[in-house]
Parts: sequence; structure tokens; C-alpha cells
Amino acid sequence: MSALISLFLKLSAFSAIAFGGINALLPALYDLSVNQEHWLNTQTFADFFAIAQAAPGPNLMTVTLIGWHVGGIIGAVVASIAICWPSSIMVYFLQGYLNKLRNQITKQTIQFAASALAVGLVLGSAWDISQQINHSLAAFALTLLAIAVVILTRWHPLYLIVIGAILGLLGLI
Amino acid sequence: MSGFGGVLPWARRTVVEQERWLSSEEFNAMLGICQIVPGPNIVNLAVCIGSRFAGVPGALASVLGLMLGPSVIVILLGMLYEHYSYLPAVQGMLRGVSAVGVGLIAGTGLKMMRNEFSFPPMLLVVAITIIAAGYFQLNLGWVVLIASPLAIFLGWKKAKQI
Repeated sequence: MSALISLFLKLSAFSAIAFGGINALLPALYDLSVNQEHWLNTQTFADFFAIAQAAPGPNLMTVTLIGWHVGGIIGAVVASIAICWPSSIMVYFLQGYLNKLRNQITKQTIQFAASALAVGLVLGSAWDISQQINHSLAAFALTLLAIAVVILTRWHPLYLIVIGAILGLLGLI
Repeated sequence: MSGFGGVLPWARRTVVEQERWLSSEEFNAMLGICQIVPGPNIVNLAVCIGSRFAGVPGALASVLGLMLGPSVIVILLGMLYEHYSYLPAVQGMLRGVSAVGVGLIAGTGLKMMRNEFSFPPMLLVVAITIIAAGYFQLNLGWVVLIASPLAIFLGWKKAKQI
């Protein structure tokens, strides 16, 4: 029970400071759950990330899996709710505020600024987390290949996931 | 449910590239709002879209719809993982998938960056944020605090120019 309460409080507090969305918060989530709370080890974290990537759905499923690892089904529910509620309430009110804003310049200023921050945070996080997750040159090469395919083609991400799984299965990564 | 590889690449692909419900600029702006608020941006996006159509019940319904199916699937996969994670084949597959997963995130980030070229000074904000978050690995709250004054200033310049 105390583990569940700790999970809820830590993840709620975490959600309230985790700027930049789940992709941007992966490094911070790693620090919290592996280094600080010892809920799981580096390998399990990387594997949960992979499972959340390979499965359909939002990649905040990494958090759901961590909750499940700590406290079973109830842990998964607790972790998912904890990571969602603070930001959901904030964005609900922020959206309402922005819709009421009459001044176009103010509105656009906020949107342009937020958009640039979002791009930087997503890229910075990808850089950071790639160093935790990739352990070989081949893995980095595969990451670069995935980047190139995303930029240059309109392939469905699932094809890339399948290619990654096959290359890994063959022991190449 | 069909958000393989995380919902962000999928969401951008469906909403912008295929259905063209939102322009690339509009998508970035909406996502940007959802990203300045801390927390999972896809959930925030669901709250934004849901509440626009049906207020609080709409927001709750779209978050629940987003989470329920994937949670069940991912926990089933987690159970399989507990039993078979010792297999080298499974470990290899997961290594391959996570390497691709990082690439999907980075690729989507780079695609989003294309819009910033319409006002090149803004790329400075992007660069500062990447270096602070990626290289110095600063706490996200600090990164936002450091980068937002310049972001707001340049955002204001950009808004006046357009």
C-alpha cells in the first residue's frame, strides 16, 4: 500500500514539473524511476520503453508498465492516473483562456514560443535517451536510419518497428 | 489504438499528412500549447480536442478512450515479458525496437522543426533547448525557464511580422 501511495505522489509531482510531454520527459522519468526510487533497473526501463513503442497507443504506456511492475494492475491504474491528472486540469484551463484571448498578437506569441520550445524539447530528449538505450554502433545506425525514413518518406511507423524487431532478432543490434 | 511507435508520429501523420484536418502550423501550435503544460502531451492533446467538442465529459471520454485499450495490451505484453525476457531473441528484439523508437521521436521532432524555418531566429530557441536538455541534461523545469524568455520575445517578433 505504501508503495502505491509513493508511486501516486511521486508521479503526480513529476507530472506537474514534466515540461515537454512524454517524449521530452523520458530522461527525467529514467532518473526518477531508476536512479532515485529504484523501482526498476536500466535494462528493464529500456525494455519497457521498447514494449510501449512496439504496442499500439501512447508511449506514456512506459509509465503504465512501471506502475504495473511496482504494484500489479492497481499499480498500473494508479501510475496512469497520477501522470495524467495534474496536466489535464492545467491544459483544460489554459485552452479555455487562450480561446477567450482577443489579442491575436498575444495569442500567436504564446503559440509560436510554445511551438519552438516543443521542438527543442523533443529533440533534446531523443538525444539524451538514445544514450541510455543504444549500446552499440549498430543501434545508433538503426536510430539514424529510422530518422531518415521518418523525414524522407511517409511510411507507417509500424514498418520501422517490425524492421527493428527483425534486425534485433537476428542479433544484429 | 493504432498509434504504433507512440501516438505523436501517428497523430501528426493522420491529422496533418492524411486527413489534413489541421495545417502543419496549426498542429504545431496546438501541440505547443499542450507541451508548455507539463505532463504527457498526447493526453493533453486529447483533453484539448475532447473539451473543444464536449466540455469536461468530452475531455474525460477522449482520455479514457486513448488509454484503455493500449493499457490492456501493454500489460499483457508486460506479462509475456516477465516470463520470456531471459531469452536472447526477446532481448535482441527489444533492443532493435527501442533503437527505432528513439529514431521515430527524433524524426518527428525534425519534421516539426521545418516550420521554424519560416522565421529563422526562432531556430536559436530550438538550439538552446536541445543543448540544455540533451547535452547538459538539465531538469526540464530549468530548460523551460532558461529558454522561454527568448522564445516569448522571438514569438512576439514573429507574430508582429506575419
